[in-house]
Amino acid sequence: MTIVSDSPVHSSSSDDFASFLDAELATSTSDSSADEEGDEEENLESKRVKRRKVEVLEILEDVQDSTARVETSKEEAICAHPGSFGGMCIICGQRVAEEAGVAIAYIHKGLRLDSPELVRLRNADMKNKLNQKKLHLILDLDHTLLNSTMLFHMTSEEDYLKSNADSLQDIQNGSLFMLEHMRMMTKLRPYVRQFLKEANEMFEMHIYTMGDKPYAREMAKLLDPGDQYFNDRIISRDDGTQKHQKGLDVVLAEESAVLILDDTENAWTKHRENLILMERYHFFASSCQQFGFRCKSLSLLKSDESDTDGALASVLRVLKRVHSMYFDEDPRDAPSNRDVREFLKSVRKEILQGCRIVFSRVFPTSFPPESHQLWKMAEQLGATCLVEVDSSVTHVVANDPNTEKSKWATNETKYLVHPQWIEATYYLWQRQVEDKYPVNQSKSQ
Amino acid sequence: MFFHITLERNMQLHPRHFGRNLRENLIAKLMKDVEGTCSGRHGFVVAITGIENVGKGLIRDGTGFVTFPVKYRCVVFRPFKGQILEAVVTMVNKMGFFAEAGPVQIFVSNHLIPDDMEFQSGDMPNYTTSDGSVKIQKDSEVRLKLIGTRVDATEIFCIGTIKDDFLGVINDPTTA
Repeated sequence: MTIVSDSPVHSSSSDDFASFLDAELATSTSDSSADEEGDEEENLESKRVKRRKVEVLEILEDVQDSTARVETSKEEAICAHPGSFGGMCIICGQRVAEEAGVAIAYIHKGLRLDSPELVRLRNADMKNKLNQKKLHLILDLDHTLLNSTMLFHMTSEEDYLKSNADSLQDIQNGSLFMLEHMRMMTKLRPYVRQFLKEANEMFEMHIYTMGDKPYAREMAKLLDPGDQYFNDRIISRDDGTQKHQKGLDVVLAEESAVLILDDTENAWTKHRENLILMERYHFFASSCQQFGFRCKSLSLLKSDESDTDGALASVLRVLKRVHSMYFDEDPRDAPSNRDVREFLKSVRKEILQGCRIVFSRVFPTSFPPESHQLWKMAEQLGATCLVEVDSSVTHVVANDPNTEKSKWATNETKYLVHPQWIEATYYLWQRQVEDKYPVNQSKSQ
Repeated sequence: MFFHITLERNMQLHPRHFGRNLRENLIAKLMKDVEGTCSGRHGFVVAITGIENVGKGLIRDGTGFVTFPVKYRCVVFRPFKGQILEAVVTMVNKMGFFAEAGPVQIFVSNHLIPDDMEFQSGDMPNYTTSDGSVKIQKDSEVRLKLIGTRVDATEIFCIGTIKDDFLGVINDPTTA
């Protein structure tokens, strides 16, 4: 009852209603008053009676509606505008500032969500995923799952591919596609279909590419003809918030439950710890050329990456490992404390555990060795890197077999390996056989 | 809501279209220009039903184009705040669902979906009541109330709710 008298909104509306009614009644009685001037008093009385009736009616109405009305007015007054669609708040419909919040345009054009709403959605998603025992996996397209080339970039030696393209009526069984309307050809990486099928059982998958939206959609159709894996989770470069950078701000998932598969480290500078760097897939000659490699591409060599032994298969093993580590923890351990990044680090640290590595003339002398890419890779893999040789050293990494340290390694029967051994181990998530990476006299790579 | 109104427009015509078929050319150009467009005031022009009159043409200085003021009758569609509308669901996700009623795109946030309906993800994401009796998924027909509308040059965006009485699924596509 106190609400009824205290709420300012309520009292002003009742004034309006009463005065509105009065005004209406006044015009109707004034029409007839021309004939009945003597009945002014009566009119006044009737007005007063009507006003009282109106007030009585109102009080009755108010008892029923006051709580409802006050609540809605309070709701409108305190609506937090957690998101907007086409410039209007999604809860109350009022206009909101156009640039507020993050644009989630890949789901639908014009949709924007505020930070608190994003946090709420991510938390809700986390609970859902823990129940389903799934994590999130973000996949890059180019050079990770497939390789595309424009038709006019293809060399004459690659013409045989045009006639060998797989049918677009039977996408599920094909891997090389000719897309006339986009004037390009696409080759899917070997093992990709099996990879997607198995990853789908452990992860909710997203596509995040630096291509434009139509390209992203076409590729999603080739990878996922049944529309089971990605749904609307296809993020293209038009949907990112920063140019040339990919970010998890437009992804509706907790950062601690996201793994990223990409061939470019620079695109994910803010989320390096979630990233699993993939070896680039170069099928077409234009792709090799783009990256400055003078070697022959797979299409010219008429061969392809190994199916069961290639990059995707190795990464799948790692993903299975991290997934099982995440969900097979002691049930007493709170799930919200688990972080997929920690598990990734620990899986990586096991690969070269126990190795002690010395580098010989691999880094320029003025350069601090600890900041070199190879040093960091080796440490991430669990090895210990040293500057000077001693008896505990297990590997010497060199380009030249005639350096002091290289000769020392051969004399002491330690492993003498090419720097590519570290890179291969890093990309394939498995300690590579040292004998396959000998250090040769030849300078060409 | 649909309205049948008279609008006026100045049509510019290139002299190559003059001749016996001037009027037909003018009307064809009008239809091409106007049908399917949106204006903030009138909403979406669905179809032109007839030409009321075509005024005298004025030759523009400098160019040879001639401007004709044309008055025409057309059917327009304009949604209003507070209107009840039936729409077809096009996309369902954890934030709510998107529905379409002709050219109008409507978003119903999950805050404005009754609390007893929960989001189920999967092959066919949907919102279902706890006993499974009511289900909102792609291609369902729903009756909703508009709580905000915005019209721009080519599209109309609306925010809707189904949290009131008598709103919600009309027709379940799985049983249809």
